[in-house]
Amino acid sequence: MLDLLPQLVLSGVTIGSIYALVALGFVIIYNITGILNFAQGEFAMLGAMLCAALLAAHVPLAPAAAAAVAAACLLGALMERLAIEPAFGSHPLTLIIITFGVSMAFRGLALMLWGADPYSLPEFTPGDPLVVLGGVLGRQAIWAVGLSIVVVIALFMFFARTLPGAAVRACADNAFASRLVGISPRRMALFAFTVAAGIGAVGGIVIAPISGATYDMGLGLGLKGFVAAVIGGLTNAPAAVLGGYVVGMIESLVTGYLAPGYGSAITFALLLAVLSLQREGLLQSAGRRRV
Amino acid sequence: MSRDLAGLAALAAALAIVPALAPSTYVLALFNTVGLYAIVTLGLVLLGTSGQVSLGQAAFYGLGAYASALLARNLGWSPWLAMPCAVALVAVTAYIVGLPALRLADVFFVLATLGVGVIVNVLMIQLVSLTGGASGLRDIPGLAVGGRRLVTDRDYYYVIWTAAVVALVVARNVAAHRTGRALRAILGSEVGAAALGIDVSRYKMRVFVLSAAYAGAAGALYAHYIHFISPSPFALYASLFFLIMAVVGGLTNIWGGLFGAAAVTLLDQAVRAEMPRIFPRVGGEYQTAIYGIVLVLIMIFFPAGIVRGGLDLRRLLHDKGRPTAVPGQAEAEPADGARA
Repeated sequence: MLDLLPQLVLSGVTIGSIYALVALGFVIIYNITGILNFAQGEFAMLGAMLCAALLAAHVPLAPAAAAAVAAACLLGALMERLAIEPAFGSHPLTLIIITFGVSMAFRGLALMLWGADPYSLPEFTPGDPLVVLGGVLGRQAIWAVGLSIVVVIALFMFFARTLPGAAVRACADNAFASRLVGISPRRMALFAFTVAAGIGAVGGIVIAPISGATYDMGLGLGLKGFVAAVIGGLTNAPAAVLGGYVVGMIESLVTGYLAPGYGSAITFALLLAVLSLQREGLLQSAGRRRV
Repeated sequence: MSRDLAGLAALAAALAIVPALAPSTYVLALFNTVGLYAIVTLGLVLLGTSGQVSLGQAAFYGLGAYASALLARNLGWSPWLAMPCAVALVAVTAYIVGLPALRLADVFFVLATLGVGVIVNVLMIQLVSLTGGASGLRDIPGLAVGGRRLVTDRDYYYVIWTAAVVALVVARNVAAHRTGRALRAILGSEVGAAALGIDVSRYKMRVFVLSAAYAGAAGALYAHYIHFISPSPFALYASLFFLIMAVVGGLTNIWGGLFGAAAVTLLDQAVRAEMPRIFPRVGGEYQTAIYGIVLVLIMIFFPAGIVRGGLDLRRLLHDKGRPTAVPGQAEAEPADGARA
């Protein structure tokens, strides 16, 4: 029983780092616009699929990955301008339904463009896996964890140390007051969707060599990332990252020790528990400090 | 009021002559599908009348189907007894789900129902000894009336549309009378409704349980009509499908629910028939792209649904939304000089 543990923890951390990236996208968009973007997981899918398609066209990995992230950013910006911006100020439910619509559209378009067969991406640095604490850690898993940490640190540096980052924080804190000092909330919303799409795409590209890339990978990633974000309180970025690792770990342990198919059921039972325990807490924390 | 009655009479008359005019059993089967979806959508519309949205309807639909199928198939109950029991079971489930979930603010309620939907679907797949797992349940007994077994699509057409018309009448009565007024008051403002002496949480619970029961009844009928069920038609995708039907008709409009179910089902059939000619290599749920775009366009341009005359959800809910969480409501666009 126990000799399985290191391996399960390592794979939990690996998949958890991807959930953390998706959760981070949720939190950024929610903080700045008050929208829960259920197309978040589709950006991971789009990143992975675009990268795989470029590789199939004999583009080297690094430029292909960069181009895929850039394209995902563009799609995120397009989504904000074409689907979210026209309905700005609508009830949150209306906006959530719109993001579900966009997510369905992305999934369907990906299926039309690339078909239903899974694509595989090569590992970034092929080689023998490492043995850590009695568990096997693939090199791609190190990339996944490492890149997610780099992205998280880069984002925190941006928010804490730069003037545009301060503008974003101001907008998240009080959109009305930030308008008064000349920060456009709409511009910030565009920024939020662009950055969240880029982060999602990084997650998708990094995990694709491990799990493969399919047109329907976005739904699962998006829902798990969302659970991670809710566990973290939905407005708290570091807590959301932690939530991502918690969800990844739970999924891995449940799959390993209890029953393989129940991973997502346990994850969502956790979501229900967190939601009902935090009832008012969730909304109160929305009024408190963000980012 | 009288307009509704005239509409009902016209609908009943039209439905009565359909079997005589239908050119093929395919058309009747299509009508049956519309009838089943209309029942689910009507439940969703009732829920929408109180300003709530559920992404767990497919789970209730599936729960009704599995419960009735198991009672009739494994315990040998008459389907006429199994179906009401299944509906009661779904209603109790919804009540238990609603106890914590209805305390959540609107958006988080949607997420809770989504979570319930995912969990129920996983259980359908995983409890293999009970549900048959991913391969589903076969040989579910059909219905019988007065010793005559119902076999053809035409037989079931009468059963399904009788149920749909009853569902429509009940929904209309709920929406037109005291409960409906209370629900619309809640849609306008929960605090305002409470100030008028409306027991907000009780009405919300009632309508949530009723909407789940609608879905459960449709599911039970579906199981005995098709004789075979598997987990895949009850996944999250189906909940979104039902939501699109309700949204097309206008989330608060009873007649719109019927229209939405018919319009989306027909669109679905047309897309399934035509799309392979345009995109030959794809298979599977490619039509989601079109539904997704349709959903976005409707929510942006027709938030009250394609059928006008419904309440304008977007305008009505606008005031209820938290303005601080939705920036940029005012007309004036401030100059951007964040980096100055």
